[in-house]
Amino acid sequence: MIRNYFKIAWRNLMKHKVFSLINIIGLTIGLSASFVIGLMIYYDATFDTFHKDSDRIYRVVTDFKSPDGEFYNSGITLGLEEAISENSNFETVSSFYIERPSKAENKAKNIEFKWPNFVIFTNQNYFNLFEYKFLAGNEQQLLTNPNEVILTDKRAADYFPNLAPSEIIGKTLVYNDSINTTVTGIVENFTQRTDLVFQEFISQPTLLQTRLKQEITEKNWSSTNSNSQLYVKISKTADLTIIQKRLDDLVKEHQDEEDLKFGQEQKFTLQPLVDIHFNENYGTYDWTKTQASKSLLTNLALVALFLLLLGCINFINLNTAQASQRAKEIGIRKTLGSSRKQLVGQFMGETFLLVVISAVLSLLLSNWLISLFSDFVPEDLSFELFKTPIIVVGIILILLIVTFLSGFYPALILSKFNTVSVLKNHLTVGDKKVKLRKFLTVFQFTIAQIFIIATLLVGKQINYLLNKDMGFKTDAIVSVYSPRGEREISKKELYAEKLRAIPEVKEISIGGQPPASFSTHSSGFTYIDGEKEINSDLQFIYGDTNYLHLFELKLLAGRKIRNDTIKELVINETFRSFLGFKNPDEAIGKSIVIGENSIPIVGVMANFYQRSLKNDIKPMALSGDWYGPERSQFQAVHIAFQSATSENLKTTLSKIENTYKSVYSEGEDYRLVFMDETIQRFYNRERKVSKLLNWATGLSILISCLGLLGLVIYTTNRRVKEIGVRKVLGASLIQINSLLCKEFLILVVIAFVIASPIAWFGVNNWLQDFAYKTNISFWVFLISGFAMICFALLVISFKTLQAASANPVDSLRSE
Amino acid sequence: MLLRLNQASRIIKSGGKKVTLLDTINLDVKEGEFISLMGPSGSGKSTLLNCIGMLDNFTDGGYVFLEEPVHSMKERDRSKLYKEYIGFVFQAYHLIDELTVQENIETPLLYKNVKSSERKAMVADMLDRFNIVGKKDLFPAQLSGGQQQLVGIARALISKPKLILADEPTGNLNSKQGIEIMELFSELNKEGVTIIQATHSESNAAYGSQIINLLDGRIVTE
Repeated sequence: MIRNYFKIAWRNLMKHKVFSLINIIGLTIGLSASFVIGLMIYYDATFDTFHKDSDRIYRVVTDFKSPDGEFYNSGITLGLEEAISENSNFETVSSFYIERPSKAENKAKNIEFKWPNFVIFTNQNYFNLFEYKFLAGNEQQLLTNPNEVILTDKRAADYFPNLAPSEIIGKTLVYNDSINTTVTGIVENFTQRTDLVFQEFISQPTLLQTRLKQEITEKNWSSTNSNSQLYVKISKTADLTIIQKRLDDLVKEHQDEEDLKFGQEQKFTLQPLVDIHFNENYGTYDWTKTQASKSLLTNLALVALFLLLLGCINFINLNTAQASQRAKEIGIRKTLGSSRKQLVGQFMGETFLLVVISAVLSLLLSNWLISLFSDFVPEDLSFELFKTPIIVVGIILILLIVTFLSGFYPALILSKFNTVSVLKNHLTVGDKKVKLRKFLTVFQFTIAQIFIIATLLVGKQINYLLNKDMGFKTDAIVSVYSPRGEREISKKELYAEKLRAIPEVKEISIGGQPPASFSTHSSGFTYIDGEKEINSDLQFIYGDTNYLHLFELKLLAGRKIRNDTIKELVINETFRSFLGFKNPDEAIGKSIVIGENSIPIVGVMANFYQRSLKNDIKPMALSGDWYGPERSQFQAVHIAFQSATSENLKTTLSKIENTYKSVYSEGEDYRLVFMDETIQRFYNRERKVSKLLNWATGLSILISCLGLLGLVIYTTNRRVKEIGVRKVLGASLIQINSLLCKEFLILVVIAFVIASPIAWFGVNNWLQDFAYKTNISFWVFLISGFAMICFALLVISFKTLQAASANPVDSLRSE
Repeated sequence: MLLRLNQASRIIKSGGKKVTLLDTINLDVKEGEFISLMGPSGSGKSTLLNCIGMLDNFTDGGYVFLEEPVHSMKERDRSKLYKEYIGFVFQAYHLIDELTVQENIETPLLYKNVKSSERKAMVADMLDRFNIVGKKDLFPAQLSGGQQQLVGIARALISKPKLILADEPTGNLNSKQGIEIMELFSELNKEGVTIIQATHSESNAAYGSQIINLLDGRIVTE
């Protein structure tokens, strides 16, 4: 019986090749998207779930609230660990300190590694919390003494090549030239997905031998460092609200008077282990990887859902439209004794066959899609993940759901046909079913239309962001950062001096970050305006006397700073008005207090955007570098080129790099950043959204148009006789074509009417993220509506013109 | 007694008006009979066949089939009954286009849940009997009208029905093919199958043991 069904299903597939193809394309697109996106969600959702009791492990993080907004820090104050370690709510309290040594040496073999990453200073508790598999070394009494280190097998292979783990135990590793450590253990790297990417674990007491000695011994409550990490495993019976209360009390106990004055609040919170992978407020430990975003995954899931839905709708539409062709078979089967249930089963089987074919195609496509969407897909996500049992079950589930969604309704319709009237060819397709098909078509086109409008508007906004005048020069400027080990100002000056000899270089300035960057430096200030006192935060950019000139920042009043080390400020317009000065000139000569110093305002510069256009322009000041060589804020040499053209760019860049290598010894640390690229990077996420939308739009238009094509083919075939009669009566090609198109175009227009407000609402919502935005123009809607109609018309005419131009004699002869 | 109709009527509503398709029909059919229904188009021949075949229902009156009251039966039992005892032959053959000759003949057995090996044997017998073994893998579109009707009859016979309902079985055939089909029916009748056929043709009607004339849904003479 089943074999018989599949045989019929297969023959039907082959008989109606166009319809089958449309169905398969639609379903394949939907399924491929679902597979890949499902895989991504699974991938990201299974980070660090393999640890024992992972649901009871939390990271303690710090949230700050101030008048300027909320800030998040993944670390805690060093005092906190001691304050909670005796608390019975916690089973394990484990702290570690992330500190990147400048060097690690295997002196015996003369192997040296600069700036090894993922090095932490920790103790036994860390290994109690996260179970590592020990390949060698004593698992008891871990890291209790100073100068002990445990390595992962990967890192050990770097430092001690060609040695078995047991042979490495007892070997010496020297950090920062002076810290001698003994390897006491080798652990296996986690084989499952984890954000705990650490490779070297140095015993915590060793910290006292580093530059951090003072901080560590002081255990200051007023400073929070993201390198100081604290994890806890709460006991089974612990009450999270009680724990939170205790943490809040601790904050109160150690409240700083100064913070109160500035309106700053601090709060410790428990971040679940699985949240680390997603929460961008606190970040992960590997900065080179883009963090998974829940909102992005949700959006992707929605896209997949819509595409799948469109595929299903195509199926329903085409199959109910085709119903009359199957009617005879159904009637016969019923007279031969088939029950309705059996017929429904048969049609569901046919649907399933189609879905399975699509699924197989989708699996083949997925491999390609994963590489196509490398922007979205995490690097080490591979096709292999499809073999995970839960994914296999998930896929089967999706297939069954899709089969049910798309197959059930047509099956119900088909099996309901009245046997007698079918066999007498008295079949009338009910009005209701036509309405449903129209409704589904409208639904499809509404989705496609929303995508078109959203794509255009998002594209418009991104275009606006990238082309908006930032208020300073952004093209033909690069910044070269000094190596971490050679921060001396004298080297930068030497480098700048040598660069001046390159003819293509126009201007040079030594300074901190460029005017717009990802980092912010800010500090509190006090301004006494006669009777009232203003306390607030001020952002800083740092630069030498040429900084304003190089970035073409406009000076509205006063002058630039006299030299690099003098304590003078050039403030921006926003800060000027924040302080209450009516015009720029009024601000000149006034002073603000920062820390102990009263610093004069010598100039006012025009506003410029300090970050992406998502943010407002904040009060800001340009200052020199007055903190002394130890805490110099100057990190880079900014270079402006003579011309913006890229003709000689390559040679100029190589000259800059060569000069760099002649000045600095750590040549491999070379980092050159284009100003305009930085600005583009502000909008990485938006550009991703845009790429996603482009695809979603393209695919939804494709599926919808295919569905429409199917419906048009069906309808015109049914009206062949009518067309013939009309032609005999003298109708022209255009008259007939417009007659046939009208019916469908009305649906597209209805879809447009429904889609417009939805798209407007969605895009408007999205635009709220931006402090500066384009308006949602009327013409975008007109264009997208017009585009949709054009697409539809193209598809419809493809078939109707063919039908209209056919010789009426052929269609009328048989009657 | 194979079946008995007692004051059976079928009245439907069409465009707000009541239309009487069958009007108080009384009919007894014994096993082994060969009945020809005659009458002009629209006289109710097909409707009567459909109602007897349980594809349609009488709206009034009693219908007893093999001593079971069909008029008060549930859909499921009725379907069981006709699956078991009734075979149909149509004017337009009504073979399933997507299935081969062999598969078409096999289909009723699928719905009776006959085992695969048994099915194969029965279909082979039937192909043999109708001399269409050579055509078993062809599709209906590849056959002539007479051959298609042969397949139609073979399919009706495969489940060994007691009653065959034939609605103008020769209507789409030429006279030679028609005669062959009618010869076949009378042969089947001699083997004990009860046949009710609807026909326009006097000569075809003559094959029957009894002729019933219908006019406007009523039996005129018996």
